[in-house]
Amino acid sequence: MEVTSRISTRSQILKGIQPLIGLVVIYVAFAAASGTFRTFDTAQTILTQAVILGTMAAGPTIVLISGGLDLSIGSLFALVAVVIGLMLNAHVPVAVVVVLSLVFGAVCGTLNGAITVGTGIPAFIGTLGMMKVYRGIAELLGANQDMSKFPDSFQAIGAGYLIPISIMVVCFLLVYVFLSRTRMGFNCYAIGGSNEVSRLAGVPVRKYYLIYYTIGGFFVAVSALILAARLNFTNTSWGNGMELDAIAAVIIGGTSLSGGVGGIGRTVIGVLIVTTLNTGLSHLGVSSSWQRVSIGIVIIFAVWLDVVQRRRELRA
Amino acid sequence: MKKLASLALALLFVLCAAGLVFAGGSGEKAAGGKITIAYTGFPGGQTPFWAQMTEYVKEEAAAQGVDLIDLSPTVADAAQQKDSVDNAINRGVQGIIIGSIDNRAFGESLRRAAAKKIVVVAVDTAIDDPQVTALAQTDNLSSARVMGQYMVDHLSTKGKVLILGGTLGHQTGDARRDGVRQVLEANGFEVIFRAADWDPAKALEIATNELQANSDIVAIFGAWDPGALAGLSAVKQRGLLGKVQVFGFDGLPAAFKSIKDGELVATIKQDNKQMAQVIVRSLVAQIKGQPSVKKLLIDGFVIDKANVDQYMK
Repeated sequence: MEVTSRISTRSQILKGIQPLIGLVVIYVAFAAASGTFRTFDTAQTILTQAVILGTMAAGPTIVLISGGLDLSIGSLFALVAVVIGLMLNAHVPVAVVVVLSLVFGAVCGTLNGAITVGTGIPAFIGTLGMMKVYRGIAELLGANQDMSKFPDSFQAIGAGYLIPISIMVVCFLLVYVFLSRTRMGFNCYAIGGSNEVSRLAGVPVRKYYLIYYTIGGFFVAVSALILAARLNFTNTSWGNGMELDAIAAVIIGGTSLSGGVGGIGRTVIGVLIVTTLNTGLSHLGVSSSWQRVSIGIVIIFAVWLDVVQRRRELRA
Repeated sequence: MKKLASLALALLFVLCAAGLVFAGGSGEKAAGGKITIAYTGFPGGQTPFWAQMTEYVKEEAAAQGVDLIDLSPTVADAAQQKDSVDNAINRGVQGIIIGSIDNRAFGESLRRAAAKKIVVVAVDTAIDDPQVTALAQTDNLSSARVMGQYMVDHLSTKGKVLILGGTLGHQTGDARRDGVRQVLEANGFEVIFRAADWDPAKALEIATNELQANSDIVAIFGAWDPGALAGLSAVKQRGLLGKVQVFGFDGLPAAFKSIKDGELVATIKQDNKQMAQVIVRSLVAQIKGQPSVKKLLIDGFVIDKANVDQYMK
């Protein structure tokens, strides 16, 4: 059972490089257009602004490659944030808060996987349901609670550039190692390529799916921890639409929505494209409504490239 | 394949060029001498109060002869607004006006601004931080007390009053809740407070549920007009118009129309035009090193059926 991702045809390589070319072009264009954009400060800011989306998108990268989908992560983000806020309000020690919220995120991820795998409900529907469930629970727990003014030691998690960016880089490295160095990781590609073939080849597909979704939940918690620390408050409305932002970043990077193809490197590029576009357009004084329009165009464009290439591969 | 890649490049270039066009050639020159300030407010798409504020800020900036960059996010997302402040700092503006989505989110960005000697001022919502050097806002607490007294005077039966609030911990929302609540409770009313996160859909849902659960609600106070109007819809849906009185806060055109139609009882008019003018002038004066207004609390006043005609255009 060879892994599909290992087939490095010319088009495969090119496909990985296109988003990178896009990123470089976007960056250079903005740098040429705006003097304030081509500064070290701005580069640092782009990376910092990429942290929340980046850590969040690490999970969907794995889930999408395996052919799964998790729409509940935006709501789970809010729920984890509320749980963090409540624990900090109750003066739970910061280290315990961090560990418990990561465990909580992972457990919720497992639950998502279990619902999809256990019932055979399509992932789209199963996780759509959980999206409502998590949001509702977040509102039940967090309504009428002031969750803010956290201890300094907690705020340090999201303060400045160094710590949040380092956390993001570690997350990316973990996913990289998982996908390229572990059996569970590269089976992700096989399962995404063909669920049925993998199962017949003896891959424990159901068990692995549980693990992929669990990892997704874990990274949601990482992301929520950083934002709660950074903003120094949490509330129940967080994460609205974030699941789609994360999935969009993964897809812009070139990971296929239909599974089997992709990688964390592509997600890094996808996240940076989104963040660079937002920051760059801000530097040019473009309103945030136009920023949305441009991100939308980039998503369509990226997926269109994918479609065109698939068609060419079929013909070849 | 080559063709495709070059097509990709071409399209991306078009996109970037389009960005430049949208910008209207606003490539600001730091050496040009003209002052550039940035504004980031609550999204105007969600509340007309803020759409008006953006316009007033732009008008006043033009009147003062300074360039204004509007970096307001399109959704009420505190993280996005913090990013917009960071972007403004990197752009090298001389001053930033913040109408905050959540006043608690900016600590670190404000210290970065201070390190770069960028003046930061707040409009509408106070930001509790020494780096924020001026504030223009409605005196929410005292205006809410005025509203509370008005409600006491106009409610014939004692009972429960539902307050539809903003986001919990948000300075303006909390002040409006506290002002109304203090007066009502002192006069023997029971107050039910629910945070609606400045979201009319949420306000409608909460009001519907509370009206269902508590038949003895005699009035609803919405801490912002769209929330009050959402509460009014819930009252109408349950056929309680006239039995449950609804009061608002903001003084938006939609609220005036509703007052004129005899549905909403009253609202507090906030002078967002004066707020915008004062804060832009204060910011520009501070950048120029001139004396400036550091804090202006503007009193809101009650608009009801008796005086609404004067304020309707």
